[in-house]
Amino acid sequence: MNKNLYQPINSEIVDIIDESPTIKSFVVVPEEEFKFETGQFVELTLPGEGEAPFTPSSSPTVTDKMDITIMKAGRVTALLHDCQKGQKVGIRGPYGRGYPVNDYVGKDVYIVGGGVGLAPIRSLFLTLVDRIQDFKSVVCRFGARTPADFIYKNTLFDSWQKIDGVDIKLTVDQADGQWKDNVGVVTTVLSPDDVDIQNSVAVVCGPPIMMKFATLKLLEFGFADKQIYLSMEKNMSCGIGKCGHCMLGQYYVCKDGPVFTYDQIKRYPNIWD
Amino acid sequence: MKVFFISQIRPLLDAMAGQMDVYVPKKANSHYVFERYDPDSENDVVFNNIRACTPVKEFLFPLRELAAVFPEPLEPKDIKPFAIIGLKDCDLRSIEILDKVFTEKEFEDPFYIRRREKMFIISSDCYEPAESCFCNVMGGHPFVQSGFDLNVSQVGDGFIIEAGSQKGEDFIKKHSQLFGPADQSQLDERDRKRAEAQQQLEHNNADMKFGVPVHEIVENSHDSEVYDQEATTCVECQACTRVCPTCHCFYLYDTKQKDYFGKMKMWDSCMRLAYAQVAGGENPRKVLGDRLRHRFMHKFSYFLDRYGIDMCVGCGRCVDAEAGDVDIRVVLKKLNEELQGKGKEKEKVAK
Repeated sequence: MNKNLYQPINSEIVDIIDESPTIKSFVVVPEEEFKFETGQFVELTLPGEGEAPFTPSSSPTVTDKMDITIMKAGRVTALLHDCQKGQKVGIRGPYGRGYPVNDYVGKDVYIVGGGVGLAPIRSLFLTLVDRIQDFKSVVCRFGARTPADFIYKNTLFDSWQKIDGVDIKLTVDQADGQWKDNVGVVTTVLSPDDVDIQNSVAVVCGPPIMMKFATLKLLEFGFADKQIYLSMEKNMSCGIGKCGHCMLGQYYVCKDGPVFTYDQIKRYPNIWD
Repeated sequence: MKVFFISQIRPLLDAMAGQMDVYVPKKANSHYVFERYDPDSENDVVFNNIRACTPVKEFLFPLRELAAVFPEPLEPKDIKPFAIIGLKDCDLRSIEILDKVFTEKEFEDPFYIRRREKMFIISSDCYEPAESCFCNVMGGHPFVQSGFDLNVSQVGDGFIIEAGSQKGEDFIKKHSQLFGPADQSQLDERDRKRAEAQQQLEHNNADMKFGVPVHEIVENSHDSEVYDQEATTCVECQACTRVCPTCHCFYLYDTKQKDYFGKMKMWDSCMRLAYAQVAGGENPRKVLGDRLRHRFMHKFSYFLDRYGIDMCVGCGRCVDAEAGDVDIRVVLKKLNEELQGKGKEKEKVAK
């Protein structure tokens, strides 16, 4: 029989990290080596309960385990949040096309992220800094609702900001007493002077409303449609371009995405919904 | 030509039933469905001069099946060879479409492929196309062209049998005592009946001579209001997609059993409200008209771009089945009127 693509690889949750009031990272160890490209996604099964798509947030150079950062958003993610270390899970994938990192070589990589959208971005960020000399710069503009809602705080507020070639600015919608950075939605920390627009690519990942307005802002700055890479969140289910749930116009997000350029998808209605 | 004649159908079915499960047409009210052939039954086997009301996909891609088990992976069950008698050209073309999806390289569906390999197809001619049939508009015919193992054409005093594959030829060779030669008058009768059925279809669908390919009509309808207007009578029964022989959307869900966890695969419908909704609540097709548009775009534009073939065979099952009043033919006609209207406006402006 052909390989059964619906069969998950038996895996185990070996660690759980509280990232924010609504977000946790799960360290998952599959029974077999698991390779993926940054930006590709996996289907995580909670046996007997359900399955949901996530882009691993760890570096693709690590193949014996992966980090999966999950926001409590629906039934399956709520159940995952209740899981303890040692929980058996299943992993299918990796699926789709991730970030074409080699196309970014020699350019400014302008990354705009918000909320749990920092999960795929963390994997991309780790991939980029592994070979930071290949890129002109890595410029990050990240937003969250409040300082507590930022994920990966330990590294984001500290070591990541000290990497040569990396420029990070943070913003929150609502500050608390200690917050010293910008207050406002993520578009308020975007400036056309952040990067050399002619020689850069932009990567946007976050809640749909944020992706929409960040994309519009980038277009206003003069980014071409083809320079903007969007990680699209749709209802990916089978992962192999058949079940139809994730269709975005002619594309199966699971197979042709989840990373698209704005140019590829702009003609379709309701892409941000 | 590998054409033969038999005077009775039962000896052929009995020969098959020795080797495989055989499904034959059965009259159900004014329609046909398939039922397992029982060699011991005294009932007459009826022949369907029109397609069954159920889609052939249910033999290859059942309504619900177990797709994965853990922690121990699923041991595949043996599938017994099976034959279906009375499939039509539209059915065979729907299999061609499903093959594109489920046998696609690197993305093969092992369950579909195992059933497909065990399937023996005995098609038959369609002498009485239904009012809802419009296969001729979608490039089909009331008789098969390819994709069959054996084809049966009912003529006055018996049946003309034609082999369409090596499997079919082998079957005839193995059971050569059942088959005699077909004579010219029998073949003439078959050809006459086929031509009459073709004429009937042309007549029924005279108002669907669009002048442009269907995909061109649909590709140009991204902004059309026809979908919203036509969707007003849709009651979301989803019957259109269930009986459609080419619709293949499915839903994966997990279950707890006594001693294992299972992942099930079940038919789904893009006309369902929450079909594309994500956990956060966003839904790109909240509005019924948008879902109808997507269904048409998928059938007549996206699928063609990807696989080089329309995802509609013109069988008209969706017209017969649905509880509302959305008629795929009417939608296409209205879209075409709109497109032709736009063309005329452009001409006017150009003048």
